Amino acid sequence: MPSLTLEATGIPEEVEAGDPTNRRVELMLGALASAVLLFIAGMIIFTLIKAWPSFANNGLAWFGAGGNVDQQLSDIFNSPADPADYVYELRAWPLIWSTILISGLSVVFATFIAVFSSIFIVHFAPTALQKLIEPVVKYLAAVPSVVYGLIGILVIVPWINNNLITEQMRASVAYVIQLDGSSVMAATMILTVMILPIMIALIVDSLRAVPLNWREGALALGVNKWRAVRTVSVRAIRPAIVAAAVLATARALGEAIMLAMVAGSIGFAPNPFDGILFLFEPSRPLAPSILDGEEGLSVVPFGETMYAFGFILIVSCVFFSFSGWAIRQSLSRYGIGAR
Amino acid sequence: MGIETTDDERGLSEAGVPPVRRIVVDGETPPVRVAHRIGNGASPGLDEPFAVEQDFEAVWVEERMRIESLGVRFGQKEAVKDVSLQVNSGEVLALIGPSGCGKTTLLRSLNKLVDLTPTAIRSGRILLDDEDTAYMDDTLLRKKVGMLFQQPNPFPMTIFDNVAYGLRERGSKRPGKKALEPIVVDALERAGLWDEVSDNLNHPALSLSGGQQQRLCIARSLAVRPEVLLLDEPCSALDPISTAIIEDTIVNLKDEIAIVIVTHNLQQAERIADKVAFMYLGDLVEYGPATQVFNAPMAERTKDYVRGDFG
Ligand SMILES: Nc1ncnc2c1ncn2[C@@H]1O[C@H](COP(=O)(O)OP(=O)(O)OP(=O)(O)O)[C@@H](O)[C@H]1O
Ligand SMILES: [Mg+2]
Repeated sequence: MPSLTLEATGIPEEVEAGDPTNRRVELMLGALASAVLLFIAGMIIFTLIKAWPSFANNGLAWFGAGGNVDQQLSDIFNSPADPADYVYELRAWPLIWSTILISGLSVVFATFIAVFSSIFIVHFAPTALQKLIEPVVKYLAAVPSVVYGLIGILVIVPWINNNLITEQMRASVAYVIQLDGSSVMAATMILTVMILPIMIALIVDSLRAVPLNWREGALALGVNKWRAVRTVSVRAIRPAIVAAAVLATARALGEAIMLAMVAGSIGFAPNPFDGILFLFEPSRPLAPSILDGEEGLSVVPFGETMYAFGFILIVSCVFFSFSGWAIRQSLSRYGIGAR
Repeated sequence: MGIETTDDERGLSEAGVPPVRRIVVDGETPPVRVAHRIGNGASPGLDEPFAVEQDFEAVWVEERMRIESLGVRFGQKEAVKDVSLQVNSGEVLALIGPSGCGKTTLLRSLNKLVDLTPTAIRSGRILLDDEDTAYMDDTLLRKKVGMLFQQPNPFPMTIFDNVAYGLRERGSKRPGKKALEPIVVDALERAGLWDEVSDNLNHPALSLSGGQQQRLCIARSLAVRPEVLLLDEPCSALDPISTAIIEDTIVNLKDEIAIVIVTHNLQQAERIADKVAFMYLGDLVEYGPATQVFNAPMAERTKDYVRGDFG
């Protein structure tokens, strides 16, 4: 039998330095990446142009508080047909504050829970349990948010209403708002559960990727297992934790359906000065506000206001991505390949 | 901790009885241990009395760890079979043998790191200073028995933080940077790395060269003041110059620390070892003074291995 030569297989014997295929692939990938970036930039600019009348008519007051935001939105919706008489006045703070509050609390809680449960899954759980938990957690990431909303509205909201909110609480804020269980708390709880799976999946994978070498090095110095994991593994994956938190933030900012169902759908700014009670106050973040305003999009100034909400959400996501990137840069200063 | 030589040392020595030393720990006197004095490289047998007239560079040899019929199995696979050995301070013990003969497993048994492998089953006894390690807390044992791995594994932190790591994370109180600094400097000096890194203690440890990283790992182990240091092929990834520096470091350390080194490099074992143990397929085939194992091995297998005609 003749020996198999490279020639016979059609495999080129050696790849030349200036191989034209390489060049072509590079160009193609470069073009693709640029196209994606251009698309994102285009989307941001388009949204800004569409949103501009809303921002321009309100100035910085757009971001401030004042009056009833739901009333303002309804006035915008009922604008006269003449473009000269369009109503734009809006003080969006209650919606912005609700977004910050619910997304922020959820991401903070979820980050802690995700880090600890990932450590448990990877380093402390019995192997059988590990094999069970991991796929289940990853599957949870795929549950549609409307299902979470349903559970929230049928189980969590009534539970909070019946068990956590006392009559005194209801009475103490009755002059501004009615408490019915739809609340910051319900929204935060469910949103935390919703963003957890993706965070756990990411953190578990990066914990697994920490060289065993490092942990053994720490153990060999007489450091106990928990300490070794915390000070070496978790330290080493801080960039991945930040990345997971950024991804979760984007998911939280964009969540509309579930929040529209459980947050209360009232343009009210929960007041932390009400003490623990503020967790039971209803509100409505930006994304569900767009969802709620869907049927009014054909009214020009109302549509432009919705674009303004969208613009704030896009810009926040871009902002968080970049800050996440910057934090990761500084955190991986000591990582592999450090100079 | 101070070392006191008893008054009767000279008398006893002249009578041909090994000298005695007492270790005084904070005023308490632990049981007296019998120590042997050996010569400069040329090691007489353990129990041979030595001649006082000879111009010795005296080294105290003292038993630190005793391995009694150690066996380790991974499931059905017997990695170490019935090995008995002694690890002495003042000496370098080299473990040699073909790949897969159980050297790493033996070494990792000494600080119970092998117990982290779920399938590993260990039998026999390992004593540290006459105390059964089976009943010792893992972390306590590992504080006393340091280990260096085949691949340098500095943590992704600064050079300083690497050396200080063991001291910071082993207790409930984290000592401050001020208190740690002299210890870190001392450890780096003893590891022979101080001159190269004194100006950049805050640089990432992973930016060092392989040889520097390995010496940093030595410093990291030394900072916690181990009694025994286990080295698993510490030079296998290093160039000859780094290797020579690390060998120097090891020889300088042996007065204070009992050293066990696994090596595939027989020249290296010849250069630095006082005792050599040759393993084959999990068995301890030969154990004795380095000169004897290399020049007049007793077992046929050892002979073949040290002469290099090993199949
Ligand atoms: N975690 C493990 N699970 C199963 N078998 C193992 C494990 N670790 C080691 N062994 C087996 O135990 C035997 C001894 O391995 P060990 O690593 O101690 O050899 P070694 O002498 O250090 O070899 P080398 O010189 O190549 O490093 C080998 O046959 C190996 O396959
Ligand atoms: Mg080995």
